Amino acid sequence: MFNLKTTPFHERTSALCQPQNWRKWAGYFSAGSYEHVLDREYWAIRNSAALIDVSPLIKYVIKGKDAAALLHRVTTRDIHKMKVGQVAYTGWCDEEGKMIDDGTVSRLDEMMFRLTAAEPNLRWLSMNAVGMDVSITEVTDEVAALSFQGPNTRKVLNKVVEMSVDELKYFRLMKNRINGIEVTISRTGYTGDLGYEIWMTAKDAIKIWDTLMVAGADYGITPVGILAMDMARVEAGLFMLDVDYTSTTHAWIEPQKSSPFELGLDWTVALDKKGYFVGRRALEKEKREGSLWKMVGLEVDWVGMENIFKRVGLPPQIPGMAVRGSLPILVGNVQVGYASTSTWSPLLKKYIALAHLQKPYFEVGTDVRMEITVEHHRQHAPAKVVKLPFYEPEWKRK
Amino acid sequence: MQLQIEKESFVTNQYHTIIIGAGHNGLVAAAYLAKQGKKVLVLERRSIVGGSMVTESFGENFQADSIHAGGTLRPDIIKDLKLVSHGLHVDSSRQPFISLLPDSNSLILDPNPVKAAESIKKFSERDASRWDEFVRFMDKAAEILDVAYATIMPRLPKNMNLREGYGLLELGLELRLAGRKDMLNFIRALPMSAQELVEEYFESEIIRAAIASVAIHNSTLGPMSAGTGYTLIHNWLNRGGLSHSNVGKAGEITSALANAVKSFGGEIRTDVEVAKIKIENQIAKGVVLANGEEISANRIISSADPKHTLLKLVGAQDLPPEFVWHTQSIKMRGSVAKVHLQVNGNHGIPAGTLCIAPSIKYLEKAYDAAKYGEISEKPYLEVTTSGNVVSIHFQFAPYHLKTGDWRLETKKVEKIAIETLTEYFPNLQSLVSNLKVITPLDLETTYGLTEGDINHGQLQLDQFLFMRPIPGWSNHKTPIDNLYLCGSGVHGGGGVSGASGRNVVKVLK
Repeated sequence: MFNLKTTPFHERTSALCQPQNWRKWAGYFSAGSYEHVLDREYWAIRNSAALIDVSPLIKYVIKGKDAAALLHRVTTRDIHKMKVGQVAYTGWCDEEGKMIDDGTVSRLDEMMFRLTAAEPNLRWLSMNAVGMDVSITEVTDEVAALSFQGPNTRKVLNKVVEMSVDELKYFRLMKNRINGIEVTISRTGYTGDLGYEIWMTAKDAIKIWDTLMVAGADYGITPVGILAMDMARVEAGLFMLDVDYTSTTHAWIEPQKSSPFELGLDWTVALDKKGYFVGRRALEKEKREGSLWKMVGLEVDWVGMENIFKRVGLPPQIPGMAVRGSLPILVGNVQVGYASTSTWSPLLKKYIALAHLQKPYFEVGTDVRMEITVEHHRQHAPAKVVKLPFYEPEWKRK
Repeated sequence: MQLQIEKESFVTNQYHTIIIGAGHNGLVAAAYLAKQGKKVLVLERRSIVGGSMVTESFGENFQADSIHAGGTLRPDIIKDLKLVSHGLHVDSSRQPFISLLPDSNSLILDPNPVKAAESIKKFSERDASRWDEFVRFMDKAAEILDVAYATIMPRLPKNMNLREGYGLLELGLELRLAGRKDMLNFIRALPMSAQELVEEYFESEIIRAAIASVAIHNSTLGPMSAGTGYTLIHNWLNRGGLSHSNVGKAGEITSALANAVKSFGGEIRTDVEVAKIKIENQIAKGVVLANGEEISANRIISSADPKHTLLKLVGAQDLPPEFVWHTQSIKMRGSVAKVHLQVNGNHGIPAGTLCIAPSIKYLEKAYDAAKYGEISEKPYLEVTTSGNVVSIHFQFAPYHLKTGDWRLETKKVEKIAIETLTEYFPNLQSLVSNLKVITPLDLETTYGLTEGDINHGQLQLDQFLFMRPIPGWSNHKTPIDNLYLCGSGVHGGGGVSGASGRNVVKVLK
């Protein structure tokens, strides 16, 4: 029988997880939330310091003379330009230029990288490493990871680290020590806020958790589950595999696949980089000819929605968490796309969605209508295409 | 910037096309292109042209067809390239195909069907009466296959465009014209085993086995393997029947081709090994030789096997991962060795193509050894003679030995080959004055055949038609622009016919 694994923080997270709403994440138990309502956890991300167990992220260590060459070939980024200590977010594609997965590449050393992924990619990486001097090792179980997100995180971290993180720039990493324990700290995250990800050996996980919880007590440190993170990542305009796009490895039909351009990842596709990389030809062609789809932000018009609810005598009703369900989007009576994740943004006080729209409806400012269900009836709330991200605090990169 | 790009694209290369390898397919392609007026350069690693179609000297007064015992190119190629005027002697006389039997009561399948039937009669009256029908079917099947081999296969249906589909339409039409019954029989025969196919015609084990031996010739398969119905038709097509033609003259064919290339203005350089194909942005720009010299050309055609061309000369780094995976998966696994004997005196071996294939089970057991990485103790042999030279084709001698090393196993093949043949010709062993053994490792190192596979990839149904060399890439093209394949590993290839060398010219821009 297939059993879910527990993460190295399970001893702590399981004791805290009041609703017992465990979610399945890459074969691990992952706490949906620690409290019965998400408010406190969500606001910890935006106002204080959220401690999120992201150990289920699939992690590979790629080592050897050709480590950079392998990642340069597999991903769309120019890996040869990366400096040691740099982190790059990237997608990777099949030969048709459609997304397989996405994650971060960290250059730990001249000849050593860490790649994170949502799904197992060992076969794909190995297939691409033919003739290369490189070793690919999955370290998902061995390396525990905490995502530490929110405006207070820098202050908390500086209390416990050997070397200050003040100089650690956005999408850079450093080797450091917490309580004498070796960790890697990267200025990365999945919330669009100031934040760090702390990478450590699994056996040290509990000690690091405890140290942070003590140090953060005065700064509102809060264990946060993945449901609140889901709301924050929509505000940050960040998409999720299997929710907002389908990997080519499990798409049943062509239209289910997405290119990085269609997902708004233009900035990650280095068509000017040297040499072959997987999908290059197809991506060059799409760049030339333009994409037929685009993932955009959608803001639902509150007054318009109020009117629809008013007709049945109700105030607007919004789900209290991110909805991972497809909602049709129309212009006139013609469907021009769909929203893949929608959520109420407590911070922006707006009902927002990540939406996939066909050309030419993906232009910012386009008026569309999104399906909502009001008293068991399908209705269409007016909405507008907006630029992503919905929320970007000045301290994210500072 | 714009100016610079334009300037670059107007750089004229010294050569329009570079062809890697001066085997028969490379030379056929070169001759066709040179005849069109293209500036062609053929690069050959060895100091002689011919590739696997070569007659070499292994000592004083000791000349033999190293790999293929003679052969013939498709008639349209001989005509198009005016090979007769370039030194090719077309010899239409055919020698018999003889199955040697322990009691010296051989089965002699003469090209003349009446004579063949007479010999068959000694083994079965019924089989003798069916010989004509069998030959008629095989000739028809070979004719259909010949049409298929002249048709450029489309890529997988997913990628098929109208132009590619047109070739298939033509093929379909040809098949219809072949007659409904023959076409169905042909399609039915392909996946059958040679054993099943011959059993439908003949009751005598001796006749069955003799024919089945041709099915497994150059294949790492036994007569009970599925798909040897196809290889029988394939070899029948290339040989023009059961026996070889032009034995001892393999080199004459490639010499005539080389003469044709030169007379059309093409250039051939020998003793030059291509180390790399130069690639920029997935476009072939030229070649880099082992000595470091670079030669640029508008396009490159490789007649080397697909594995060597793609994984060594191009390199996996420049190719899509799935393409690399498929290329790595091409089944090569050669299991042929050659033993050439220089004989001093009368060996008593009759002219023709002789086989040691007394029963289907004998052949299958010979093949069993290959499955387990062993050299057949009782091998299937095919023997041809040319003057004082006896050439023995030995199966099975697998490239991948379970134990041992080909550098040490040569003696074993030599011993088994000579002893086996001496059982039929008792004087033979004592008359041998010199010999040359070519092992599967020699086929790889000397002749450039990956894993010693003479066909550049096994002729099996999953490496056939639009799956040769790999699915989706059967039209001579590669993911590298301006790089084409034309060797035996592409559709139309395997054995001697020149079809793949001829076909590549049709798909060039």
